Amino acid sequence: MHIDYPFIWTAFKFLLAAVPLTLLMTILPILFGFIIALLVTYIRLYKIKVLAAAAGAYVSFFRSTPAILHVMLIYLGIPVLIIKFGHIFGIGFNANKIPVFIFVIAALSLTAGAYLSEAVRSGILAVDTGEAEAGYAIGLTHSQVIRRIVLPQALFYALPNFVNLFGGFFHTTSIASIVAVPEITGKAIIAASNNYEFLEAYIAAAIIYWGITILFEWLAHLTDQKLSQLKGGIT
Amino acid sequence: MITIHNVHKAFGRHQVLKGIHLTVQKGEVVTILGPSGSGKTTLLRCINYLERPDEGQVEFGGKTIDYKHPSKKDILFLRRHTAMVFQQYNLFSHKNVLGNVTEGLTVARKIPKREAEEIAMAQLERVGLADKAGHYPNQLSGGQKQRVGIARALAINPDVILFDEPTAALDPELVGEVLEVLLEIAETGVTMIVVTHEMEFARRVSDHVIFMDQGIIVEEGSPHQIFHQSREERTKKFLHRVSPAYLYQQV
Amino acid sequence: MAWSRLLQIQLLKKGGNILQAFEWHMVVNFIPTLLKYLPLTLYILGVSLICGFIWGIIVALPKVYKIPVLQQLSSIYISFFRGTPIMVQLFVVFYAIPALTAAVGIDTSKMDPLYAAIATYALSSAASIAEIVRAGINSVDKGQAEAAYSIGLTGRQTFFRIVLPQALVQAAPNFWSLIIGFLKDTSLAFSIGVMDMSGRGQTLITSSNHSLEVYISLAIIYYLTAIVLEKIFAFMEKHVKRNETRLLTIFDMNIQ
Repeated sequence: MHIDYPFIWTAFKFLLAAVPLTLLMTILPILFGFIIALLVTYIRLYKIKVLAAAAGAYVSFFRSTPAILHVMLIYLGIPVLIIKFGHIFGIGFNANKIPVFIFVIAALSLTAGAYLSEAVRSGILAVDTGEAEAGYAIGLTHSQVIRRIVLPQALFYALPNFVNLFGGFFHTTSIASIVAVPEITGKAIIAASNNYEFLEAYIAAAIIYWGITILFEWLAHLTDQKLSQLKGGIT
Repeated sequence: MITIHNVHKAFGRHQVLKGIHLTVQKGEVVTILGPSGSGKTTLLRCINYLERPDEGQVEFGGKTIDYKHPSKKDILFLRRHTAMVFQQYNLFSHKNVLGNVTEGLTVARKIPKREAEEIAMAQLERVGLADKAGHYPNQLSGGQKQRVGIARALAINPDVILFDEPTAALDPELVGEVLEVLLEIAETGVTMIVVTHEMEFARRVSDHVIFMDQGIIVEEGSPHQIFHQSREERTKKFLHRVSPAYLYQQV
Repeated sequence: MAWSRLLQIQLLKKGGNILQAFEWHMVVNFIPTLLKYLPLTLYILGVSLICGFIWGIIVALPKVYKIPVLQQLSSIYISFFRGTPIMVQLFVVFYAIPALTAAVGIDTSKMDPLYAAIATYALSSAASIAEIVRAGINSVDKGQAEAAYSIGLTGRQTFFRIVLPQALVQAAPNFWSLIIGFLKDTSLAFSIGVMDMSGRGQTLITSSNHSLEVYISLAIIYYLTAIVLEKIFAFMEKHVKRNETRLLTIFDMNIQ
């Protein structure tokens, strides 16, 4: 079996340069997604009629469809929307000028937002309803019960989920290679086709992803430990 | 000084409360007894609107509130002048003991922090837990947790405190410390409505006893009347069944 | 790589002529065309997951019974397939198969990428399934095994007749999420040239020049398929749990 081992090393070094971009593409959508998740949660907890249905549909759609479709729909769809509704608001800029990267971040933020919404939701379900009742019973308003009793604990319970989602999202960025974003997989494809050394390039990519994932898992483990310590004083 | 009229409540097709009338005077200790499923806990939770009655009114603090369409202000009024002690304690697990007791003061009543802490510490002294102010609920025993719950209720100085089977979840040896606190509170003239299975407590401490079964008040009266002179067959049967002699009569 | 050329064409089209008229009726037209390939997608999903299930249980066993050496190998296997993106796995398997078989003299370079895809999804799902099974087994009360031993069942009988069935029931929701998750992952198989639903979508894009409509059609089909799967699972769950009472959640509690 002929494997060009030296090239794996060459490719590895080449791909390392893509790690910062890939990490950026992991972090930004998670941050934006978290804001979206808080919005969705707020809507759900206050049962704001129309928006709650929209929020539910959003979470359902973005969790039930492949992420690659999210990227394509945003990438191709937003320019169409800009043209269609630009007339109404007088916006007429050429959507072609927007770099792909922005669309990818936007799409992945929506993807992350849906999954993070569910993580927050399961965190909320983990809070004892009795504590919320006690809050109401001493005269706290709905808003106060949510802000002071439910959410702090919900986010705490959801933290392990968040960390897992973060690690998983690092892998999701690989789909951006399909729209020619030079993250790890994207660069691997370039290295592979430029040198006709396909297996070696992809093995190098696998090694990088694997290594960084192991790092994330170690961080997750530390976080779990820290949380258990804190839990000793809380739960 | 709190009167509820004609309270009905159904869960689905099951009618749990079938028209309850109840009056409690200031400073009275009222105990509600009855078999499980009689609706006594539901009744208690209807008073502060943790359950939503289908029908009924409450006269309280000079206001009359219709349970069918209460305004937000009415509900908050109810809850800011009553307090509840829960069977499962329901302490806020992310706050320490002091934080649990001050929450109702600082947040619901906008009392400044220092004043709230003074009040809280005074109530914690009263229930014998002043030294645990910095502890978290998961570091306390069941009896201690319940006493914190009582302190939390006392701190907001309510017109009436609602007790939902306060000792039912406790290990037997911890029941005593909680009952002691309840006795002391009753003696200081706090208005209390207590749902309980502790018959001796009911007999000795109540001013008024209510026996409920299947959603209606079957009989009510002074402790002596209920425990020794009950007129209704159902009351007698219930009391007989919860007395120790019943279990061992065949032996 | 055929698909990368498709992609370049797509990008050129978009860059050059943004005024591609968007038409809803095209979405409706595309759906039946794409639906013809849904069975293939589901076939890939089904075969991969069945193989993955069997292989996953095998991989889980050394970890459950703490068999030396094999246990570590299992851990490495699971770590690799859960530590790399599915796309990279597809590429690696796609190029590794010919390389491996060439070493024993078999030429598989013209093999249908379908097999590489199924192999990848099977290997990948096995890793996740192993973890789910392991968690499920650990969640079964030890007392169950003890009771089984006490009436004379052997270790193997206890595992297969008492522990594993309960473990699988406990783990069922996780399995179902996994199935839906891999349904989404199959959408990447086109990148190694598999002509499944997504692959057909790519060819539709080149032939019709209406990429957005194709993706919308695909999204609709994937979404509905996932919903159907979720409904099936909810039905099964309700049937199994028909005697449990419903709990009040904080979301139901807006008491104002």
